[in-house]
Amino acid sequence: MKAGKLFHVSVVTLVMLYLFVPLAVTFLYSIATDWYRTFLPEGYTLNWYREMLTDPRLLEALWRTLFVTVFTIVLSILLMVPTIFIVTVYFSKWERLLQAIVMLPYAIPGVVAAVGLIRIYSDGPLAISGTVWIVIGAYFISILPFMYQGIRNSLRTVDAITLVDAAELLGASRIQAFRHVVLPNIMPGVMASVLLSFSILFGEFVLANLLIGGQYELLQVYLMRRMDESGHLSSAIVVFYFVLILILSGLILKFGRSAKEENA
Amino acid sequence: MSYVQIDNLTKTYKDTIALNHLSLTFDKGEFVTLLGPSGCGKSTLLRSIAGLAPTEEGSIHVDGVDITHLKPKDREIGMVFQSYGLFPNMTVLENIGFGLRMKGMKKSEYEGKVKRMIELVDLVGKEQSYPHQLSGGQQQRVALARSLVMEPKILLLDEPLSALDAKIRKNLQVELRRIQRELSITTVFVTHDQEEALTISDRIFVMDLGNIVQSGNPEEIYTHPANEFVARFIGNYNVLRAEQLRQLTGGGSFAAVSYAIRPEVIQLFPEHAGPEPSGNGWLAAGKVKDITVTGNVLRYLVESQDQRLQVDHLNTAKELWIQRDMNVNVWIPAEECVPLG
Repeated sequence: MKAGKLFHVSVVTLVMLYLFVPLAVTFLYSIATDWYRTFLPEGYTLNWYREMLTDPRLLEALWRTLFVTVFTIVLSILLMVPTIFIVTVYFSKWERLLQAIVMLPYAIPGVVAAVGLIRIYSDGPLAISGTVWIVIGAYFISILPFMYQGIRNSLRTVDAITLVDAAELLGASRIQAFRHVVLPNIMPGVMASVLLSFSILFGEFVLANLLIGGQYELLQVYLMRRMDESGHLSSAIVVFYFVLILILSGLILKFGRSAKEENA
Repeated sequence: MSYVQIDNLTKTYKDTIALNHLSLTFDKGEFVTLLGPSGCGKSTLLRSIAGLAPTEEGSIHVDGVDITHLKPKDREIGMVFQSYGLFPNMTVLENIGFGLRMKGMKKSEYEGKVKRMIELVDLVGKEQSYPHQLSGGQQQRVALARSLVMEPKILLLDEPLSALDAKIRKNLQVELRRIQRELSITTVFVTHDQEEALTISDRIFVMDLGNIVQSGNPEEIYTHPANEFVARFIGNYNVLRAEQLRQLTGGGSFAAVSYAIRPEVIQLFPEHAGPEPSGNGWLAAGKVKDITVTGNVLRYLVESQDQRLQVDHLNTAKELWIQRDMNVNVWIPAEECVPLG
């Protein structure tokens, strides 16, 4: 083996080790009975997983998280797809403004956003501080950049403006043009944005913890709280979480690829 | 009153004038071409007729009806785009049937019509294909059929062939003309390719800076350009100012500002020789500076009396005597010098 190749292989191996060893050890710890006197665990058990999956708090937290993310994303699709479509096709001079607004959440750290939101919404006409709605509102804002990019890029790649022109000249109304021609063609792109947003919200901790914490315990917060109780249990939760996110990422890649192929 | 009448149409983009008080008319069944360099306003004019680009002033009448302020969908005008604009989620059949479906027709009602259109554009067997499974030429045929099936009052073609390669483009030009004649449909074709315009049109409108600078049939436009812009754009005319021409011909009176001479009418003779019998024209001594072969045409760059002339001759054995740096006699027939306004 040449020296150059040896170098490449060892670098890749080191990086892989660096990335995978913590995961492997976490997994091992989540199925270990005791692991502090020996190099490898003394025995193996699925008890931690059993305990995790039978804890009603986990299931409740999981459902809450699912509700919050699905609700936010559905709301985002319903509002953002028509908005971005209208701005891109009919009011292109406003596109820069929309882009600037939508990119703002990138610039604001979660902690700052949370403190500001709590102060604004703790009294006044819209006192939703401490309820699930403030989390949904904040989540809606934080996934805007991803939804916007995905939807706008799909509109560009399918050349939505020409499609709408063509459809209108063939006698379609603007709504018919959107429904029959634009929407079906941007669906793969929208799905990719949805899954990306889903995995981001699923792992979001700062806003979930600060805005609502234990009052409406989300999966992320639940995980954090149980870490203190047992390392084995929290390892099991981490592995569970990791697998969920992995599945989501796999779906994103799959949708992204099929969207690209369709437009090729 | 003409079938299509456009009066005083004006449109500006920020500070550039796309259409400058433009008026034109043409008749039913005509194949009309808007020809000009990019940015001359030809596509804007087309989009205005379609209702896709609102205008500030002027009016458009089709068949006696004022359509200036109608929505695109109510104008009964078909359009084919350079980028085809096919619906990727629909098959060929569904694409062509889309307009009829929007009219409220059921599939069983419009299927026959769509099938006939597919035969007309020679796409039998591709009914169930999706656009991405077709070649560029085939996609453009689908786009054409999709517009034609609606039986529009005018068919607009926005550089429909410029994304295709040369050979397919030539074939489609012929096809397009055949279909247009068969249905005798009023057609407006936009192109920046003067050869394409000359080949395909009944009438050409040459445009520059939002104005129509000349209109006429291909023969008129090619042999009698109205001004220097048209002369340079439509062919590789030699354009000479009056005093340049006087210098070249060694005298004579030239009333117009400048004159255009087509490269193919200038003849070359060996030194001390000339045409027999010599008609009305001028003979001048010159030197061949360069020779280029463009295929069937040999292109000479000849310098005579400090003027540079382009001379095109058919690439035949008769031309073999002419070599680079050779002294020759240049014959310019007087009747071929077109005075320009």
